[in-house]
Amino acid sequence: MQPPNGRDGKERALLSVVDDDESVRESLPDLIMEFGFAARVFSSAEEFLSSDCFEETRCLILDIAMPGMSGPELHEELKRRGQQIPTIFITGQRDETIRARVLKQGAAGFLLKPFSDTALLAAINTALQAA
Amino acid sequence: MNAGRAGITRLRPPEMKEHVEAPAEEIKRLQRCVNDLVSLLALPAIWRGGEPSQIIQTLLDVLLRILRLDFAYVRLNDAFGAVPVEVLRVTEHSKISLTPGELGKIISNSFAGYAQGSLPQPRDGFVMEGLLTFPVPLGIHGEIGMIVVSSDRPGFPGQTESLLLSVAANQAAIGLQEVRLLTEQKRIAIELEQRVAERTKALTQTNEELRRSEERWRSIFENSAVGVALTDLNGRFIATNPVYERMLGYTEKEFQQLTFLDITHEEDVEHNRGLIGELLEGKRRQFQIEKQYRRKDGQPVWVSNNVSLVSGTERVPRFLMALSEDITQRKLSEEALAKARLELAKVAEITSLGVLTASIAHEVNQPLAGIITNSGTCLRMLSADPPNVEGARETARRTIRDGNRASDVITRLRMLYSKKEPSPESMDLNEATREVTALSLSEIERSGVILRSELADDLPPVVGDRIQLQQVILNLLRNAVDAMRTIDDRPRELLIGTQRDGENQVRLSVKDSGVGVTPQAAERIFEAFYTTKADGMGIGLSVSRSIVAAHQGRLWAALNDGPGCTFSFTIPCAKEGLADAETRADRADPSEDAA
Repeated sequence: MQPPNGRDGKERALLSVVDDDESVRESLPDLIMEFGFAARVFSSAEEFLSSDCFEETRCLILDIAMPGMSGPELHEELKRRGQQIPTIFITGQRDETIRARVLKQGAAGFLLKPFSDTALLAAINTALQAA
Repeated sequence: MNAGRAGITRLRPPEMKEHVEAPAEEIKRLQRCVNDLVSLLALPAIWRGGEPSQIIQTLLDVLLRILRLDFAYVRLNDAFGAVPVEVLRVTEHSKISLTPGELGKIISNSFAGYAQGSLPQPRDGFVMEGLLTFPVPLGIHGEIGMIVVSSDRPGFPGQTESLLLSVAANQAAIGLQEVRLLTEQKRIAIELEQRVAERTKALTQTNEELRRSEERWRSIFENSAVGVALTDLNGRFIATNPVYERMLGYTEKEFQQLTFLDITHEEDVEHNRGLIGELLEGKRRQFQIEKQYRRKDGQPVWVSNNVSLVSGTERVPRFLMALSEDITQRKLSEEALAKARLELAKVAEITSLGVLTASIAHEVNQPLAGIITNSGTCLRMLSADPPNVEGARETARRTIRDGNRASDVITRLRMLYSKKEPSPESMDLNEATREVTALSLSEIERSGVILRSELADDLPPVVGDRIQLQQVILNLLRNAVDAMRTIDDRPRELLIGTQRDGENQVRLSVKDSGVGVTPQAAERIFEAFYTTKADGMGIGLSVSRSIVAAHQGRLWAALNDGPGCTFSFTIPCAKEGLADAETRADRADPSEDAA
């Protein structure tokens, strides 16, 4: 799959979003594209794994609580497969311990919904620079 | 021959003519007389066991023979039957031919002059057709009858003949008396036999019935689906049925060495003994008790017993009868259910609010997140060069949509979870109490309960949620009525009262005269009591306690000195300044959140 070209014709980095939340899947791609990236959305970890995108994905924006395979589980699976994609976890749950846990797992970022656009951009940049 | 009166002339008693006989003749005559006497004296032996007719026949034969009569006649009075018997025997050469009846008539007429029962003497004979005819009475007063003998010999009857006649009459009388006696004896014997037979039959029948009744009872006792135990008034077992024996693991013989209190769990012994006492004193006709027995192997078993006093009969003294049902299963499930409820309540308490919050948060967070993201996108699109107005329009549209979504969620949730929102206010506990009692008075009275109120005059106001506190009061009232449901030997009294409690508190108490609780249970009821009341207003003691606790108060139960319990709660008084301030604030701007 070819990442869409931006207005300036440059190749855009692909960001993949995996969230069972429909409003997230609806609103994030536009914002990500405004940031200057390309975006693909998936409604489940399984859908992402069976897609052809994880080669191209430069950064993964991953919901934590999902039916079926959870975000952290997907992250572990990718690690197992040797796919080290920088991952930003997003969640609506206000549980203090989750942040520590996922960061220990090697997350590149953690955001509580609802998050501001600037917060997201900062996390993406951090994740991409760390890669 | 003419048998009319004309032919009969009365004679005076014959003179005793001196018959001069030769001595040899005399000796012969006397010998003959003696022989005849002996014969006569033997007659009763012959007659024994015979019939009257037999006797008469023999008598007449003998008389005809030894006295060489022309005829001999006997009449028996009606001692032997309804009809007087008349028998006439005539010799071959008799000068007369009459029926006994005809002769009887003649004789009656002849002796009609004699008073009834007087004795015709041998000398009082008469002549009939040339025959010398003499009557001889049978029986001392002639009550048995009469013999009449007749001969054509002149001078009849002579001395010896008179003697023989007397003896014959005597013997006949004896014989006939004996027959009568025997007959009477036979009759009595027959009647006795009959009576005995009837009695025996009746007795046999009664015994049969008794046996059948006993078998029926036995069958019921043995085959009953519940345990049945009979004890004497001291509680010692008399009889037990198989179900009871299986329930407890003892044989009937083993039971007979025990009293039922021996196998009752220690906790229940006092209560049990008390109820038995009331039963024996006649205060109740039966009682029901749920208690634990201890089996022979030591295991406890829960039973529901129904015990009654069985009145005695003349042969059997009073005894106690217990119908015993094993409710171990039910108790176990009740306990399991209570435990499960307890755990559920705990969990519910902990999680319900949390769950609610999480649920609300989740429902609202989604559109909120969408709004924020889309708005961020919108701003960026508008500040791009050139501005992406089309994109901005789309994000704005989504934003409005999500805003509405969030609003819908709030509305929906509000509808789902709304009762009146709790609103603490400064309130008068007495007034609240009066409202509750007024509402529930008919229900209380219908349960046969007398309600009294003692509400303190000077009760200061409290801060509290009126609806919630009224629910607590209603709960306490209902529990009190329930506690008195089974009381029928004393008045069902419910006393509700309010008073100051110390400096800063107000106390409300509900006192009943019901069954009470054991001291161990006084705390447990707050955990174990759950509402299952279907009318929607019901709340249990655990929730009541929570409400009171939320008001910074305390709810507890205590046993009365007399019967029953008193449930009380205390609540802090309204602080003067604070209460007023809150009220003012509410009035000024109702849309502001309460402080």
